Amino acid sequence: MSTPTGLRVPAHQVSPAARPYWLLSAFISDLVLLSLLTVGYVVWPQPPWWAGTLLLILVLVLTVHVVAMPPIRFRVHRWEVTETAVHTRVGWLSTDERVAPISRVQTVDSHQTALMRLFGLATVTVTTASAAGPIVISCLDATVARQVVAWLTEITARTDGDAT
Amino acid sequence: MNEPDWRQLDPRMLILGPIAALKQLAVPAVIALIASGLQNAAWMLFALPVVVTMMFLLGAMPWFTTRYRITESNLQRRQGLLSRKVVTAPLDRIRTVDLSSPLLHRILGLTKVEIGTGVDDTRIELDPLGVDEAAELRRVLLARRAVARGESPVAEPVDPATSEGGAGDLGDGAPETSIAAATPAHVEVASIDWSWLRFAPFSLTRLVIVAGIFGLLSQFADDLPFLDADNIRRGWGWLLEQALPLVLVTAFFGSLALWLLISIGGYVTQWWRFRLFRDDGNLRLTAGLITTRSTSIEEARIRGVQMSEWALLRLVGGAQLSTLTTGLESGTTSVLPPSPVGVNRRVAATLIEAPEPMTVRLTRHGPRARRRCHIRNQWSTVFITLGVVAAWQWWEAEAWMIGATALLVGTWGAVLGEAEYRHLGHALVNGHLVSGWGALSRHRVALQTDGIIGWVITQNIFQRRLGLASLIATTAAGSERVLVRDVDRGVAVTLAAAATPDLIAEFRV
Repeated sequence: MSTPTGLRVPAHQVSPAARPYWLLSAFISDLVLLSLLTVGYVVWPQPPWWAGTLLLILVLVLTVHVVAMPPIRFRVHRWEVTETAVHTRVGWLSTDERVAPISRVQTVDSHQTALMRLFGLATVTVTTASAAGPIVISCLDATVARQVVAWLTEITARTDGDAT
Repeated sequence: MNEPDWRQLDPRMLILGPIAALKQLAVPAVIALIASGLQNAAWMLFALPVVVTMMFLLGAMPWFTTRYRITESNLQRRQGLLSRKVVTAPLDRIRTVDLSSPLLHRILGLTKVEIGTGVDDTRIELDPLGVDEAAELRRVLLARRAVARGESPVAEPVDPATSEGGAGDLGDGAPETSIAAATPAHVEVASIDWSWLRFAPFSLTRLVIVAGIFGLLSQFADDLPFLDADNIRRGWGWLLEQALPLVLVTAFFGSLALWLLISIGGYVTQWWRFRLFRDDGNLRLTAGLITTRSTSIEEARIRGVQMSEWALLRLVGGAQLSTLTTGLESGTTSVLPPSPVGVNRRVAATLIEAPEPMTVRLTRHGPRARRRCHIRNQWSTVFITLGVVAAWQWWEAEAWMIGATALLVGTWGAVLGEAEYRHLGHALVNGHLVSGWGALSRHRVALQTDGIIGWVITQNIFQRRLGLASLIATTAAGSERVLVRDVDRGVAVTLAAAATPDLIAEFRV
């Protein structure tokens, strides 16, 4: 991962439990996709030669996805909340960096899916008055997430105005 | 502190309401009557009075149940007979007061008032009020807002609706400086100049509507008994025998004439007596021949402007201007009819109080961005050529067609790609972030840096290889984002840091 020019990376990594969580969720969704296609291939009366090849290629791609994505994503995902701003970086093939001033934050939510609860993870979503600017800090340790929410709520309560 | 009395809507609603209800009820009622009544005519005798009574009840009910009042600090509207609902809007939160009069309202001397409050999308509607009462309400609301905020109330502006009388006509294009001189709070920004009519045929927004109408007509045409395939083919064959060139020429000039008629007619109806003026901290727009609209935008809510030179309009030097505003449902409000670029620039400069953003030369994004523009526009070449190859494989297409298609689509793609690159650019000037884009059309948006409420820097896998990024300034105004595409990543960060130094400084290295 080359260091981005001009903007430093956010200070913290997400919870290490994110790696097995991403692996498992990618495995489940890829498995569902693959089994659907395999069923389709089997019931197809006379599949042309390229159908089997495509399926094989897809198996390879999905395997790479499941194996390679979690560690790369773990290196890319970072977050930081300072006195004045929220800063995140997410993605693995494409990247997406966001900065929003805390004075413009409107809502702070946290949520956990069933699978995330299994790994003790939680996601914090910070929205501003712009639909283009919600900041999602995904896969934090559940305890850390609670602290972040408390901290953000406390700071945003200090600033007034309608944040537009 | 004694509470002011609740006021009712205009009693003429007892006429307006039932007619409006009739319009809504007409279609379902007719369908119901046809479905059930035709076999049994006596049934109709019972149904008709019921429908009519319902119409009157539905239409007139709001008049009996709606009340409104302005208290010391709030505007309140009370609705409902059994369950009562009161909407309260603090006066200092009122952003806009819009008046509009559709045809029926105008005949009855009524106006619909919509009051917009702040960030949420709820608008308080008072429909209908008498024209004078509505104008008075607007004046009071906007004046009270200033008081509620502790600003000194400005001298009462002359209301154009009352001061103009019936004077405005086709030749009334000259700015009314007398009003501006008398009351400094009321300054004209632009008004209709009928030489702008030349832009009407080049503005394609109306073409969509026309296409829709034709689509609808063709649906009906399918149902006409004499229009079956055989008849059409026979008729068509006969036409071709007569004189194909004549048919084509007639069709061409016929649709051209129709288009001229529709576009010019539409322009005149929509922009009749168009005026844009500043009025005590508000930007106000009035226009319309059949439905007169009057829109007020609080100037403090304007975060920027966007100028769009649409594909055809650009050929004749025309453009359209809209404002990016917070706290309005759509966020962008069109403030000028299709008009010369020069007028757009002048009005934009007035609105954002900076002439540079709309005229400054944009910084281009360099050879790597150009490469991406070209590659993006050549995808269609690849797909279309592959399509022709497939056609050549399976059907009897000629081999030379592949080359010809590739050449033609490829050249067109190259033209588009180059145009896209030339229109792509950014600038940071006089407190505004400026971004330009477009291929056939050219767009330029200027956003106040104070209106920026966050940044997003995205890089997809191709951009990462080239060291490019897309920079998005998020905002509460307009489409809520301003995109600077395919800019060098370092430049993107520098730009963001220069626009909002306080925000980015702590993350710079």
